[in-house]
Amino acid sequence: MTAVAFAHTAPDTLDAALRALAAPGRTATPLAGGQSLVPLLTSRQVRPDVVVDLTGVPGLTGITVGPDRVRIGAMTTLRTLERHPELAAALPVLGRAAAAVAHPHIRRRATLGGSLCHAAPAAELPAVAVALGAEVVLRSLRGTRSVPADRFATGAHTTVRAPDEMATEIVFPRTTGLTHTFHELCTRGATGYPVAGVCLGLRTDGGRVRAARVVVTGCGDVPLRLPGTEARLTGRPVAGPHPGLLAALVAEAAAHGGPEDGGYRAEVAGVLLLRALADRGEGAAR
Amino acid sequence: MTTDHRHIGRPVPPRHHDRLVRGHGRFAADLRADGMLYAALVRSPLPHAEVTGFDATAARRDPRCALVLGPGELAARTAPIPTVWRLPGQPEDAVPVAVRTARYAGQPLGIVVADTPTAAADLAETVRLDLRPLPPVPTLADALAEGARPVVPGTGDNTAGRIRFGSPPEEVAAALSRAAVVVERAFTLPRLHHTPLETRGVLAAHDPGTGLLTVHASSQAPHAMRQDLCAVLGLRADRVRVVSSDVGGSFGSKVLLYPDEAMVCAAAVALGSAVRWTESRAENFTAAYQGRGQQATARLAVGADGRFLAFDADILADLGAYATQAGSGPAQVTGLTLQGPYRADAAAATVTGVHTTRVPTGAFRGYGMQEAAFLRERLVDETARELGLPATELRLRNLLRPDELPYTTHTGLTYDSGDYGAALRRAAALADRPRPPDAPWVRRGTAVVTAVEITAFAPTALLEAYGIAWSGWEGVRLRINHDGTVTVYAGVIAVGQGIETTLAQIAAEGLGIPLDWVRVELGDTDTAPHSDLSAQASRALTLAGGALVTAARRLADRMRQLAAAFLDTAPEKVRTRIAATAAPSSPDAVFHTPDGARIAWREVAHRGYRGWGRARPTDPIRLEESVDFDPPQLTFAHGAHAAEVAVDLGTGRTTVTGYWAVHDSGVLVNPLIAHGQIAGGIAQGLGQALTEEATVDADGLPTTRSLREYTLPASPDIPEDLVIEHTSTPSTVIPGGFKGLGEGGTILPPAAVACAVAAAVPEIAHTLTSLPLTPPRIRAALRAAGLTAEGDIR
Repeated sequence: MTAVAFAHTAPDTLDAALRALAAPGRTATPLAGGQSLVPLLTSRQVRPDVVVDLTGVPGLTGITVGPDRVRIGAMTTLRTLERHPELAAALPVLGRAAAAVAHPHIRRRATLGGSLCHAAPAAELPAVAVALGAEVVLRSLRGTRSVPADRFATGAHTTVRAPDEMATEIVFPRTTGLTHTFHELCTRGATGYPVAGVCLGLRTDGGRVRAARVVVTGCGDVPLRLPGTEARLTGRPVAGPHPGLLAALVAEAAAHGGPEDGGYRAEVAGVLLLRALADRGEGAAR
Repeated sequence: MTTDHRHIGRPVPPRHHDRLVRGHGRFAADLRADGMLYAALVRSPLPHAEVTGFDATAARRDPRCALVLGPGELAARTAPIPTVWRLPGQPEDAVPVAVRTARYAGQPLGIVVADTPTAAADLAETVRLDLRPLPPVPTLADALAEGARPVVPGTGDNTAGRIRFGSPPEEVAAALSRAAVVVERAFTLPRLHHTPLETRGVLAAHDPGTGLLTVHASSQAPHAMRQDLCAVLGLRADRVRVVSSDVGGSFGSKVLLYPDEAMVCAAAVALGSAVRWTESRAENFTAAYQGRGQQATARLAVGADGRFLAFDADILADLGAYATQAGSGPAQVTGLTLQGPYRADAAAATVTGVHTTRVPTGAFRGYGMQEAAFLRERLVDETARELGLPATELRLRNLLRPDELPYTTHTGLTYDSGDYGAALRRAAALADRPRPPDAPWVRRGTAVVTAVEITAFAPTALLEAYGIAWSGWEGVRLRINHDGTVTVYAGVIAVGQGIETTLAQIAAEGLGIPLDWVRVELGDTDTAPHSDLSAQASRALTLAGGALVTAARRLADRMRQLAAAFLDTAPEKVRTRIAATAAPSSPDAVFHTPDGARIAWREVAHRGYRGWGRARPTDPIRLEESVDFDPPQLTFAHGAHAAEVAVDLGTGRTTVTGYWAVHDSGVLVNPLIAHGQIAGGIAQGLGQALTEEATVDADGLPTTRSLREYTLPASPDIPEDLVIEHTSTPSTVIPGGFKGLGEGGTILPPAAVACAVAAAVPEIAHTLTSLPLTPPRIRAALRAAGLTAEGDIR
């Protein structure tokens, strides 16, 4: 099908982009990499009056690795995250999670800000952002605000971003003291849509978990951080055994009102968590 | 120097690839016509509803609008599409184009034509439908429930006819009573989307001056489409021309005229102009007919010695809202082919069509045979487990041996030739390999399964016997042009399978000329010989090729006689000398005599067109031979497939780690194309084994509406260890010895994968009777069998 007719504007300054988003009386949708928006347009599920194409707006791309934090421009592509040596040294989980998204053609266009703002329930990067304690910087003509990633998505495909706002930057702290990994199951091999996943952050000492961060995807409308599961892990040997952990995770995720799948996705997330722990326990033992 | 022009058996690259890769393809959405307008369909959003209002006032007022046809206008302009293959007792014998009651979500109710595709879509949205909802009947269980609302008004229940094939009930009962073991299972084969790369599309152009309607369509069967259009629009056969442009995949979904396509043509006639419609992917997922959709209870009775005594099945076929032109055909073929390659004292099946409020079902690559193979091979597998015998051993004991062929099954199919045991043993040997060590939560298993395949679906007498109102023969017209080039016209068409290459190979070999002298022209009802079934049912190469073998022999004889007349010698003394790289116009491509007299090939052709050199004045002049081929019976291909799988006990995910296929399609014209057909069929079958299922929600609304919800296999899901081998038992009934192979690759993967999963996790073997084997389903079966997700993780 073809999209409902819309105006297309391609501002070349941030200010012009913000003005286009704020134009009164018409709905505007920012266009980043277009990997989710364009199919929504052509299937007429999204019908904006104007599409504000951000590809020509300067200053929205790039990765700055500082001592305390990593700042990533919202229009930075997933392929860039995947292949950035400094980022790989500072926060390796970001590149690895980015590499788990779809296939290279899509990752070459899809952007970090686009992924966070699209807020798909099983998406990889929103969960990693939550696990890392990232902040999303939102700009509008009204000003700038910074929203913690765990309060950014409010539901499936909805966020706190106001229609006149756009994400310009995502800021990741490097001071969590945790080491993160990301694991997921897709609907097929490596190129399908994600079913469920887990981002696991660990601080260990002598083979035991000292602090844990567990964020699962696909088990609710938004990435779910599971403090109960984290508490259960704390103090345990990384390599396990972890009796009852899987059931506890499934129950904790279910309390958020997950998808109607008989707890399948939560179970997968739990299985992935157990395997990640086994893996990292082995690594710690070596 | 003489060159041996042997082309049959050579792995020639498919001809169409170069053209398509360079972007020169002409698919339905690439076509243009002067003053072309664009259509969009108004479809029912509900699965079952009375249409009490269709208000297109706003659309008609819009300056972009050219035409709106609602149910009333369509009723005045169209007749229903007649059916050709019905079940005894089927309540309806036509598919209406104009309806007042919607019976499935996505059913076309009207059409809007405008000056741009966007305008057409915009205006279609403005049509106000008044719908009085009726209770949906989404599943077979709903349809057959006590007091279910009949989908077809005025009928007592939702059954749409019934037929029984095979041994009489008393013979089946006797065999069952003699059995040491009877294994019975309930099976579910879901509905599937064909998901061709190219969705459907039509460009219909009507010339009010001549009354000629020219329809370019993404169609597998242009003559059948023309026949249906004539009936629907009340036009003479010679006023409708249908041309199949390039077809970007079909798999059975483009064999019939659909009501929405008929509406586009009706609009073109109403406007006296050209109207194009391109189906969206979302429409393809809701309005294009689907495949499969069966439930069955099937049983296999065996003696204590493992001898098969009886196959028996009760099959329910979800026909959907209407029995389409061929309606229950696939389910009937499931019943007909249940016995497969095995000997048995009895075999029978009862097939019952059932109406639901879902989009109709129809042909899908494998046409009922994939379903039959799944029932049969899973039953054999379960029986082997019950008897404590290796499954391959049990199969080999019961497979028909070459010396038992020809063999007629209890359902009346006569197998012509084949060595079923050889293929099975070879596949088993290929798959027998050490398995790499795995994570503790992974289990591996291997299984080998087998099937025979109906190919060259044709004998007109057979179609008549089954009451199928289509012809089965195929025609070709082979022409040597005045410049010596050669053109083949055939009624079969190209759907990406490579038929234009293989027919060229057969013609070139028969005429003894280089391959590139031959062009193959297909798909235009004005120039192609009549063909009802065309490119479906693994028949194109066998039947058109069989006809072409004869045509080429006749035309080669005529050329030789013309040359002999010029050279003033006897035809048997005439030889040809044509270099492999010679052009048809080359003076070096010659007929010659032992004493050195010669005449160029092109000169013989040119003289032929002048009418010179004929032995008798009544001899034909045009260098053309038309041959219609109606084979005496079906020819049966066969094959064995082995799958090796790894089952992740934690996630329930099954990965196919190795796949080996041994096929016998008689004489292979082009091994490269054969490989591509079989590999593609296997990939498609693996998707159907593991991920593909067209679903609806509790309200009867489709829930697989895009490729997001409907998971197709991608290249990384196809095992790198994919091995395809061939044995070759020539057909005894097709000139050239060809057998079909278009569907063979698709038939066995679900059975192979399910049996391999059963081998990997015997604890859940008895549950593996429903497809697809999705991770949640496998995980649930594992849970029920007491295999916890964390079990093996320490």
